[in-house]
Parts: sequence; structure tokens; C-alpha cells
Amino acid sequence: MKHIVRKEFTDVLRDGRFRWCSVLVGALLLVSLGHGWVQARSAQQEHAAAQATARDHWESQGEKNPHSAAHYGIYAFKPRLALSFVDEGVDPYTGTSVWLEAHRQNDFLLRPAQDATAAQRIGALTAAQVLQHLVPLLIILLTFGALAGERERGTLRQLLATGIGRRELALGKALGIAGALALLLVPAALVGAAALVVGSPGPAASPLARGVVLAGVYLAYFTAFLALSLAVSAWARSARTALVILLGVWVVNGLVAPRVAVDLSKWLHPTPSALEFARNVEREMAAGVEGIPRPDRPALTEQLLAEHGVERVEDLPVNEVGVYLQESEEFGNRIFDRNYGALWDTFERQGVVHEALAVVAPLLAVRTLSMGLAGTDVEQHRHFATAAEAYRRDLMRRMNGDLAENSRTGDTYLAGPELWEETPPLEYAAPTLGWVLGNRILSILVLGTWLVGAVLAAAARVRQAEVG
Amino acid sequence: MNTPESRHPAELGNGRAPLLEARGLSKNYGATRALDSLDLAIAPGEVYCLLGPNGAGKTTTINLFLGFVAPTSGQAFIAGLDVSAHDRETKQRIAYIPEQVMLYRNLSGLENLEYFAALGGKGALTPGRLTDILVEAGLERSAVDQRVSEYSKGMRQKVGIAIAIAKEADALLLDEPTSGLDPQASNEFSELIERLKNRGVAVLMATHDLFRAKETGTRVGIMRYGRLVTELGTEEIGHADLERIYLKHMHD
Amino acid sequence: MTARTVLRNEWRLLMADRALRVVLGLFAVLLVYALANGVVWMRFQARTVEAVQAGNVERTRAIAEELAAIENGAEPASRFADPRAPNVLGGPRGSHTAVLEPGPLTALAVGQSDLLPYYYDVNIYTNESSFQQNGEVENPLNLMVGRFDLAFVVIYLLPLLVLAVSFNVLSEEREQGTLALTLSQPVSARRVVAAKLSFRALLVVGMVLAVSLLGILVTGGFSSPGRVLLWCATVVAYALFWFVLAAWVNSLRRSSAWNATVLVGAWLVLVVVLPAAINIASGLLHPLPSRVQMVTAQREASNEAVNRRSELLARYLEDHPEMAGGVVAEEPGLGALAWAATDAVNRRLEEVTSEHDARRAEQIALVRRYRFLSPALLAQEVLIDAAGTGDARFAGFQSQVRAFAEQWREFFVPAILASEQMDASVLPDLPRFRLEDEEGADVARRAGVPLTVLGALLVLAGVGAGVGLGRVRGAD
Repeated sequence: MKHIVRKEFTDVLRDGRFRWCSVLVGALLLVSLGHGWVQARSAQQEHAAAQATARDHWESQGEKNPHSAAHYGIYAFKPRLALSFVDEGVDPYTGTSVWLEAHRQNDFLLRPAQDATAAQRIGALTAAQVLQHLVPLLIILLTFGALAGERERGTLRQLLATGIGRRELALGKALGIAGALALLLVPAALVGAAALVVGSPGPAASPLARGVVLAGVYLAYFTAFLALSLAVSAWARSARTALVILLGVWVVNGLVAPRVAVDLSKWLHPTPSALEFARNVEREMAAGVEGIPRPDRPALTEQLLAEHGVERVEDLPVNEVGVYLQESEEFGNRIFDRNYGALWDTFERQGVVHEALAVVAPLLAVRTLSMGLAGTDVEQHRHFATAAEAYRRDLMRRMNGDLAENSRTGDTYLAGPELWEETPPLEYAAPTLGWVLGNRILSILVLGTWLVGAVLAAAARVRQAEVG
Repeated sequence: MNTPESRHPAELGNGRAPLLEARGLSKNYGATRALDSLDLAIAPGEVYCLLGPNGAGKTTTINLFLGFVAPTSGQAFIAGLDVSAHDRETKQRIAYIPEQVMLYRNLSGLENLEYFAALGGKGALTPGRLTDILVEAGLERSAVDQRVSEYSKGMRQKVGIAIAIAKEADALLLDEPTSGLDPQASNEFSELIERLKNRGVAVLMATHDLFRAKETGTRVGIMRYGRLVTELGTEEIGHADLERIYLKHMHD
Repeated sequence: MTARTVLRNEWRLLMADRALRVVLGLFAVLLVYALANGVVWMRFQARTVEAVQAGNVERTRAIAEELAAIENGAEPASRFADPRAPNVLGGPRGSHTAVLEPGPLTALAVGQSDLLPYYYDVNIYTNESSFQQNGEVENPLNLMVGRFDLAFVVIYLLPLLVLAVSFNVLSEEREQGTLALTLSQPVSARRVVAAKLSFRALLVVGMVLAVSLLGILVTGGFSSPGRVLLWCATVVAYALFWFVLAAWVNSLRRSSAWNATVLVGAWLVLVVVLPAAINIASGLLHPLPSRVQMVTAQREASNEAVNRRSELLARYLEDHPEMAGGVVAEEPGLGALAWAATDAVNRRLEEVTSEHDARRAEQIALVRRYRFLSPALLAQEVLIDAAGTGDARFAGFQSQVRAFAEQWREFFVPAILASEQMDASVLPDLPRFRLEDEEGADVARRAGVPLTVLGALLVLAGVGAGVGLGRVRGAD
């Protein structure tokens, strides 16, 4: 068997087709890694600087009524995580910054994709895309003739006559091809790891662990593809048939299924139009929701007066405006939680449709896991958005609390820099590896099934393969 | 016996204007001279058999008449027209049957005939007429609508003949048409050639089959190393021990 | 004669080939599916546009009602939203939404219409940051993947189908031995291949065009015949390019397997690798400063503006004497001071934006220069432009909205500076956005160069194929 591995390895390396293809794929992989790294790093630096400036603006706003400060608000910038240089995921399509201000939860704005052209939209190529699309193609080109070709040339008969087992033969071929691929992929993985260690483009929880799991995911994907290609090569009557079938699989896997998932997910879980969404928030803000009406200022005043047993608002131990503003915040938050929560939940359900379709296209499982591990999927965008919103609410509570506690109704109250400074800055902790994987059980299961299924299919097909 | 070079090409024929004619036809492949100044004239109603070992230049001669390769020097004429100057016109006059008549396997014999006949300019023939032609060429009427993938080599050969008949070709170029056929199929084939000959078709047949050459040929040419080394007329074939002459020229 | 004969034979061969029938049938299903997706999307947008326009009418109606009530002696409903105040009537409450109707052929190509905003609320506070809003609510994952629309099928899948049905157009004839028999007839290889490919092109392009025209019929796109024509011409030219490329590769007289490998490689390079390489190169050569800097600039400008309001107002009035009206600069009202600050922020934003746009223009220019290398990029550009979902139409809309915002400000700012109140008499004169949509001729002009290049690539491949096929003989 050692001989088969060695022969196949040498054969592949001497094959002009493989040399050209792997030079192309290797070059694309390195260039996209480098480009991704440069971009992620500059984006992260920019975001970190902008975040620092935003904090600076907040602290240096001078003497102001806390509610004015709340209206002034602060911007939050989404950090680029360490592994985002491998897979930028949905980042170009999510906003990069959000304005945290009084009374409302804002959308994330500034989607990089909106600054790009349509041409850039079809032509985006990240390292992840090279790994997800082009490496499988390379595997197909290397493997389709492995058994079908030997059978056509009549060499299979000769090989088996030497007494070698079919399974040994197939395994030997698979290992030989894998060895040749490793020449391409291992250096790329090392370059990636070096980039991560030497100059991590951004923060992340346990980037190296994420990187190792990421490598494992791609390894499983490639192994599944290799086994599938071998199975088809053993089953097909001719090398040509094997190639046609495998190219068909590649087209469905990489081109058709991902886009079908988009429309299917929208059909199963429709999202409201931006207009409907905004009008719904507006309507609920005016009319109240869940049986809770919009806070009524005179009623609140009455209640406060009764609570503290005083006659006039001026005699209240708190500033009635601050209490009212906080009540309004809480009321608004309820509405934002309902609407944004529902929207995010819809996005997540749509994401599950993409994951479920991985049953026909393993790429979808790999893509989900890859983006998850790189920290560039919709869920981790939501994670940051939720953290930013929680920060906004805390900020508003502090401002309104200060107003309520430290001033009396009717005062002209100005707070100073101490208040701005004692408000903690936004500290965002990216989710842990466990959190990411826990959200992705479905994709892990589907990818695992593909891997096991493909290996079993290869074993079965090789055992039953005709000698020709 | 005269050497071919000393006589006018047409002299050996039946005296009618030649349909197939080669004048000083030569073909080099790199340094190899595949065909060396061939002079040949085949009149209507003649069956000219080219004998010779592999690589003697038989197929090259046929390819030159078909315009599949361009001559290094000399000319090939079909009905007086230079092949290299009149590709279309000359091809309208000839039919070609290769060693293996390869057809569209997924189509029936009739559909194949219809296609090739139409390409040859006989698109107006009705399916009924085409079926008759196939039957005339020796195909069973029941086989006409079968897919060609189920045909034997002999049956495909008959479709090739049918194409020639349908096209009303004046000249027929045959390249080893009987190799690989069983004796009965071979015999039927000879009869078909005989019938075409009698209609005035000029036939050029490259073959290894001495027996077939003797039986169907009105003239026989023996080739070696790209040269026509000898020619035998009708009477000479009838009497001569063809095998002896052939072997003698091979050992010269 | 030859052509008809070959076409008839090809039809028979096709009917006899089950695998090919399955592939063509599948392609037809995908075409219809893609069209259905596009139609659903276009209807969704049309409904939203309708709702937005209804919103415009409703806002005006509510304001007219309140103004009439106030005229009859009622109090304004809220002190802060008094419609008589020019900064209220011209502000968010009275804002007018400028809308871009879906492109006439949106059903065929979603293009940028799922990403870019197609309506903007315009009021006196509209400035450059207003154009930084998101478009339609959409899952970023779906935006990343892109839609399964006809444009996608044409750009990615059509070439693959073309290659699948024509990679062995000549090599198969040679491999099955029919080439010699065919070429012993009075026909040339060029004509036979041309006829065989014409048949396949007729079939494949016919399917795409039939489904396209069905979509156009269903969604009323025939009112823009120029766009329809452009769409069809691009589909034909792009498909023919791949057919001719296949003919060229076939004319090199190699095996079917070799042809298949080379053609799949060509597809990969022209459709996937080159566009990506061009984008990576443009990103590296002309990195785009992110919009993040705009946020910071806006903040800084507004901090400064608030502190220097009086000074800014004086300068504003110097720059815009036409806006001054009866205002005495020494005694500015509160509204005038606020406006001066707003204007200063706007100016600063315009500066930052124009720097950004200049950099972006450089990057786009590079992409545009090298897009000539990839027929896929050329086809995509013209297809979505013809559909009315390309970048140009959205940019045109945006610049008209900018001009409209300017018009809106000119209407209200003098009253703000003069601290005047407005009444119902101004309602009929309020500026209203009227889109001057691009004409078919504008689109055709933009499509001129890419289509010419696509045509040139087609001719180039055609000449290669013609020369190569001229060398094909029966004895290969």
C-alpha cells in the first residue's frame, strides 16, 4: 500500500493539470489571505480609533443636562475579530456602527457593500471562498479518474491481479491525493496561523482554538469531498461520466443550493419591509403594546406626588422629568425588544433554512461553521448589537438616574465631566468558542453525516467496483 | 509488360474520360514520402483496386482524392476538376466508405442515411425512397428503423453503400471496405460494387484482400513505399496468379 | 440546405440523448424558478413604493387638516410640532419621501436593488449622512449570497450549459468516426460546426429569451422597449461568446476530455477568478477609507458648530444673501442659530464625503478598466443596467434626491431665518420630488462600450474558431 500512496503522489505531482490548478488555487489562497489580513487589520485599527474618539467626544462634552448628553449619545463601532481575515462572512453586509442615543434603538449603518459596485459584489473572493469552492474542484479534478480511469485503461485488472485488495488500493490513492493537496494546504494553514500569532488583526475569544477548529472543519469538508469523488469514480462506467457527475455536484453545492436557500428562507420566514418595520415601531410607540400604554406624564406626576405625600412637584425628592424619561425608555425598550427581537429571530430561522439545506450541499454547513468560527456570522453580529443596545440602556438609565437623583423638578441642572467619566466605556467580549459551536450543532451534525456517509459510500462502492 | 510511367494513364482503362485522375500526385509527411508521383486514371465503370502493405500510400491516395490532406505536388482530379481548387464540387460527385463506416449510434439507419444524403445534396428523397435504397444496399427492411448501435459492421457498411447510391455518386472511394467482414458479408459487398460498376460508377478501392481484388477489380495497382510499382489490366488479372505477382513485388 | 439538414439531425440526436434532455429540462426549471423569484421581489418593492407614496399623501393631508383647524382657532396639537413653524413643516413631520420606482426589468435582475435604498425621507435636515441609510430590511446572509434571479442564471449557469452541450461538438464526431463520412460530403467543417452550434444556441438562448420575455410581459416591462432589446442583445452576445469559445477549443483538434477540461478552466477563470482578482487588485491599489471616519467628522463638526453658532450664522448669511430676507443678523432668532449650526455640519460632511467619493471613484475606475478582461463582468454590468437595478440608476436617483433636498431647503430656510410662520397657503407650492428617470437611450449609451467589447471578444473567438475549423480535415 505504501507503494500505491507513493505512486499516486508522484503521479499527481507530475500531472501538468494538477500543477497548473494548484498553482492557481494556491496563489489565490495566499493572495486572499493577505488581502483579508490587510483589510481586517486596517478596519480594526480604524474602528478602535473611532471608538476611542467617540469616547473622547463623550467625555469632553462639557457641562450639560444629562438628558442633552443622552441625546448627544455615543457611537459604537463593531470590532473586527481576529479570524475575520480568513472569512469576512456577512461583515460587508452588516452595518459597522450604531448611534446609541436617547429614546430609540438605531440600526447599524455603513455597510461596506453599499460603497462597492455590483461588479465587486459578484467578484468577492476570500480565503474561505477559495477553500469552500475551489479546493473541492481541485479534489474532483484529481480524483474523478482514480478508479474509472484505471478501469478504462485496463490497468485496474492488472493491479488487482497483483493481489492487492480493492480497499487498500482506494485508500492508497486517497492518501496519495491527500498528500499532494497537503503540499498546498499545509503551507497556507501555517501562513494563516503565523498571521494570527504575529499580528492578530483584531480581538477574539481564544483565536487559536477557533483557528484549530476551523482547520478541522475544512479538513472534514475536504475529506468528505475526496471520499465522495472516489465513490463516484468507483461507481461510474467511464471517467467522463464520473467527471460530469462530480461537476454537477460541484455546481449544485457551490452555485445553485446556496442561492436556492436564500429564496427558500425568505419564503418560509418572510421579513417585513423596512417601511412596515418602521411604521410598526412608530404605531406601537404611539398606542402602546401588550396592554401597556405609553407613559402618561400627568398620571405619573400624580402617582409620584401620592407616593411621596407632597402637594407640589417642586417638593418631590426626585426630579419628576428624570423619572418620566426613564419610564419612557423602559416603555420604548419593550417595543424595540419585540420588534428587533422578532426580526433577529426571523434572521436566525432563515439561517436555519440555510443550514438545513446543507443536507444537499455540504458547503452550506461548512460556510455556517466557518463564519461562526471567524466571528462574522449573523448571530455574532446580533451578539454585538445586543451588547451595544444593553450598553445604551445602561447609559440612559445612568443619565436619567442622575437627572432624577441630583436635581429637582424645574431646576436648570447641568451635570459635569465627572458624570461622563464615571460612565463606563463599552467593553465588548466576543462570544466563546463553546457558545459558537453550541449554536451550530445542526451544521456540525450535517457535516459529520456527510463525512461519514461519503466515507461509507466510498468503501461500499470500492468493494463493489467492477474490474472492467 | 510496360511500366506504368511509359503509358498514358487512360490507356489501360476502357477509353472513356476518367472520373478519378491523379497527375504526379505526391505527399510528404515531414521527411517521409508517403506518396510519390502517382499517375492514375479511372474511367466510369472501372473498379481499380490498390494493393500494397500498410504504409504503401493507399489511404494517403484516398485522402488526397477526398481533399482531407493537401498534396505536396501534383494534382488530383475528380471529373476533370482539381480537388484542391473545387472542394465542394468534387465532393458532390464522390462517395466515401471508410474501413469502419461510423454512424450516429443513437439514430436509425434510415435517419443516418437521410442526414448524409441531405448533406450530399439529396435532401428531397422521401423516407420511402431512402428505405428502398437501404434495401437495395442489402439491409433487411426490418433493420432500417433500428438504432445503429445495434448494427453489425456489415450492416453499417451497407448504410455506407446506401449513402453512395442515394447520392448518385459518379465515383466511389473505398478504404479497406471488406476487412473484418465475414465471407458472406464480404461477398454481398462485392456484388453491390459490381452493380454500381455496371451503372458506370468509377471505383477506387484500397484493400489487402487479394481475393476480393481479383474478383471485383477491373484493374489492379500494386503500391510499395508510396510508389505504384505495377499495374495489371482486366485480362492480366483474370489469368495472372495475383498472389505471386504481389509477393514478387514485395521482395524486389 | 446544409444548415437545415444539420439542424434536423441535431434535433434527432438530442431527442435520442436522455442525459441531454434531462439537463435541458433542469435548466428550464431553473429559469422559471429564477423568474418567479424576481417577480416576487419586484412586486414586494412595488407594494412598498405604493405604501411610501401613500405616506406622502397622508402626511400632507394631516398637516392640511391641522393647519385648517388652527386657522379656525384651535391650538396646535403639540408645541414642538406646530405645523406653522417652518422647521416643523419642512422638518421630519412634513417631510416628503422621494421614491425610485423598481427598475422596469427588476424581475429579471435583482441587481443592487436588494442592497441600496430606493426611497429617502427628505426634509430640511437631509444631509450627506442621510444617504448612509440602509436599504430594505434584509438578512445580511441573504445579501451576501445574492439572489437566484435570471441574471445569475445567465451569468453563471448559462455558460456551463453552453459548454456542456458544445464542448464535444466536433471532437465527438471525430471520436465516434462520423467526421470522415461527414466531410466526404460537399460541406466544410466550418459550416457543419456552425450549423450544429446554431441549433444548440437557438435552443438554449431561445429558452432564456422566452422566459425573459414572459417575465417582462408579466411585469409590464415592455413599456421600456430599449431596455428589453438591450437585455436580449446581451444575453445573445454572452451566450454566443461561450458557444464560439467552445467552437474554437474544438477546432484545436484535441480530445473531448481535453476540451472539457480547458473549457471548464476558462469558465472558472473568466467568471470566478478574474472578477475576484480585479477586485482584490483594486482594493489593494486604491484602498477605500471606510465611512467610519465620516461619523467622527460629523461629530466634531456638530460639536464645534454648536459652540460657534452666532459666528456661523453671520458667515452663512454672508454666503447666502438670498436666504437672508428680512433677517437682521444682529438679532438672530433661536431657529436661525440652530439652522446655522446645521448648515455648518452639512458643509463639513460634504467635504468628507467628497474626499471619500473621489477615492471611491478611483477604485471604481480601476475595476471598470479591467472589467474588459471578463465577459461575465461585462454581461453583468449591462444586464443589471438594462434591468434598471444597476449602480448608475441608483446613483442618478441619489443625485436627484440631493438636488431635491437643496430645493426643499431653499423653500423653508428663509422662513426659518426670519422666524416666520407658515400657513395653509404654502401647501400647494411645497416642492414635490419628480424623478427624471433615465431613458432607454441613456442606458444604451452606457452599454455601448461594454457591449462593443463583448462583441469584440466574440469576434476574436469567432476568428480563432473560423481559422481553426478551416484547418479541420476528415483525416485528422
